Amino acid sequence: MYKLLLSWRYLKTRFIALASIVSVTLGVATLIVVNSVMAGFVDQMQSRLHGILSDVEVAAPLLGEITYPKEHVAVIRELLGDDVEELTCVVRNPALLSFEFHGRQWTQQVMLMGIDDETFGKVTDFEPYLTNELKRERFSFELEEKGYESKYQPSGWEYRRRVAENKKQLADLMQQHQNAYDVAAASYVDATESNGRVAKVDGPDGERKVQLRPLPAKVPKHSEAAQEGIESVHQATTIPNSLAAKSSEKAQKVSPFDPHAKLRPQVNPEDMFDARKDQYTGIILGQAISQRKTTDADGKIVDLYMVRPGDDVQIMFPSVGSRAQPVSDNCTVVDFYSSNMHEYDSTFAFMPLSALQDMRGMIDPLTGDGTVSTIQIKLKEGANLDAARDKLIARFPPSQYPYDIHTWQDTQRPLLSAVTMELTILNILLFLIIAVAGFGILATFFMIVVEKTRDIGILKALGAPSRGVMSIFLGYGVSLGMVGTGAGIVLGLIFIRYINNIADLVAFVTGQEVFDPMIYYFSEIPTIVSPLMVLLVAVGAIGIAVLASVLPALRAARLHPVEALRYE
Amino acid sequence: MSKLAVTPSAAKTDFDLSPGNRSKRRGANLKVARPTSMSVAGLYKSYRKGKLEVPVLKGVDLSVAEGSFTAIVGQSGSGKSTLLHLLGTLDAPDAGEIHYCDQRIDNLPSKQLEKLRNTQFGLIFQFYHLLPELTTLENVLIPRMVQDGFIQYLRNKKKYVQRATELLDLVGLTHRLTHKPSELSGGEMQRTAIARSLISNPSVLLADEPTGNLDAENGAEVMDTLHRLRDQENLTLIMVTHDNELANKADHVINLVNGVVAD
Repeated sequence: MYKLLLSWRYLKTRFIALASIVSVTLGVATLIVVNSVMAGFVDQMQSRLHGILSDVEVAAPLLGEITYPKEHVAVIRELLGDDVEELTCVVRNPALLSFEFHGRQWTQQVMLMGIDDETFGKVTDFEPYLTNELKRERFSFELEEKGYESKYQPSGWEYRRRVAENKKQLADLMQQHQNAYDVAAASYVDATESNGRVAKVDGPDGERKVQLRPLPAKVPKHSEAAQEGIESVHQATTIPNSLAAKSSEKAQKVSPFDPHAKLRPQVNPEDMFDARKDQYTGIILGQAISQRKTTDADGKIVDLYMVRPGDDVQIMFPSVGSRAQPVSDNCTVVDFYSSNMHEYDSTFAFMPLSALQDMRGMIDPLTGDGTVSTIQIKLKEGANLDAARDKLIARFPPSQYPYDIHTWQDTQRPLLSAVTMELTILNILLFLIIAVAGFGILATFFMIVVEKTRDIGILKALGAPSRGVMSIFLGYGVSLGMVGTGAGIVLGLIFIRYINNIADLVAFVTGQEVFDPMIYYFSEIPTIVSPLMVLLVAVGAIGIAVLASVLPALRAARLHPVEALRYE
Repeated sequence: MSKLAVTPSAAKTDFDLSPGNRSKRRGANLKVARPTSMSVAGLYKSYRKGKLEVPVLKGVDLSVAEGSFTAIVGQSGSGKSTLLHLLGTLDAPDAGEIHYCDQRIDNLPSKQLEKLRNTQFGLIFQFYHLLPELTTLENVLIPRMVQDGFIQYLRNKKKYVQRATELLDLVGLTHRLTHKPSELSGGEMQRTAIARSLISNPSVLLADEPTGNLDAENGAEVMDTLHRLRDQENLTLIMVTHDNELANKADHVINLVNGVVAD
């Protein structure tokens, strides 16, 4: 009883001891905040890293092929048995992507993924990272009417129709200019011929000479009709019917300035590709591929998208086979992929598996089956990834199959282990802070024991055992540790709760963004508070406080009552 | 001055501290020939200061009868405080024996010594030695808190508080129950210490110059209180003092000179 009473009274009357545990409080709060934020980071990073990486992947060498993918899938299913949740085949090859921006052609390299729209989303976390909400719900490679984020606006079908309309108008205008020019040119030829401006003269020595006749007073440089035609084009986009008919007729008949005119195929306009109604093969680009950061008039950083959903792009890559040929085609951007992992967002482009197989010549003309470049496997929750990988390696030994078989963690091993090491070192360093606080407690407690020497003597004289005296100071240490740790936990949790407000405040005061969303790709600081972590930190901190009070308590217990009483 | 040679009693290893035993002995107190409460034989004690050994007690023999008032006088450094500490088992002698109720107590294990100090002896010091964080009432209750476990104390608390209030009433401090020692005068602090020494109903009261730090008036008041309580509670009082006037009021006076009892 006296132990509790005295511990409590010491706690209540010695505020200097409370000051000594402020470091415990701060250490605990820091540990909790750092661990929670790091856990949040790691979690977000892992899910993003995992993003479009499947659990386990059987991959052919770059640009290589896995032949007989169906048979492979069957073997893998049999081998891994119940662990397999879903399998998908992917064609993956580097490609050149080029698009037009402000009249210029831009080309860059991408990793083109031919994906099966049925199964790919089940194997990887692909769909949640699409920017169009309709696509997230029901995936397809079709351009959507709406659902695109406002930062990509204008985009979608509305945008495509408008662009196509403008292009068509421009093309019509150009055509009209061309036609008018043709008419003018033709009439000029007519005029010069009819005027007989050029005369062939036989010279006296039998030499033929070309002689220009003198110009007539009024030179009809352009025929009236041609003059009229050009003016009418300038005045309006529509050409009078008669003239249009005449000019097109003339243009088709004779156009000495367009040598290819006669070779142009005659296409029925109904069958022509019309960008207002049609799209090419859908392609989904990583958001960062066409994204450029720029500053607006106010100096704020804004994203500029050189390509928007609804635009057409061209892709080019080598075909398969021993003599690879460059293959290229048009594609229509139907959405962006935005995992906020820059490595992925700036690299990957997705298009339908069958289209890519077809373009690269991967489809066997006899059977109609295509080859693939990787087989991606999603395992059931809790299945051992490494064991599955090892089984697959044993089944497809590298000596026979040139496959690279790895888990997603293998792929990101350097980054993951770096983060883990960072977290470990941070924890050690922060725990050292609490250890330093422990020495503070030790020193303070020694002072208190010295100060309380006479009280200890009194208690012993009154029959208190050494153990009891010791437990007064141990109890004191435990209570101080608990107070400090409790305050630290509360402080840490409050900090985490309002971490984004605090970050805003710091940004406001210093004028410096704490976590620049441009760099870190998250608008809010992610935190995960693990109860186990909090418990471990609390136990550790209280343990240190107790350890620090053991030595002073032992000293108190060993004090000789007579000497303690004599102490002044 | 009574000085009895003590023959070593048959060594009893178990020390009987039951209240029954004590009340029986107190009953016996009324007889004319009072039995011995404490006795000391051939007590030696020296303190070490580095290599230098300072002998303090050089063979002290004495005996104290139950219910008597014994004063130990002597000059500074004569070893009177050391003798009192040895009697109170706060320290162990280098040689010699201390007996209490015919049982040797200087060689008991520390647990039994603690129990002995807690229940049989009341200690009063020159500098009061109250715990500054506790109130007067709590200071008086401390020996009971030490004696009982947590639950047992809570169960008996009402009884103890009643007894403590009674004792504080006896020493005239009813109005000071919730005051801290720093708010009390010297005399009040010493009277609190006296109340504390009596809370466990001890049979021996060991006082080390209880009035040494008090003015004459307060000193007389404290002595009055002590005498009154001794009669009321039937206590054996052993008091160290250098005040001859006080010593003269005692039944026996033991004069310590250079670590031995002078005749």
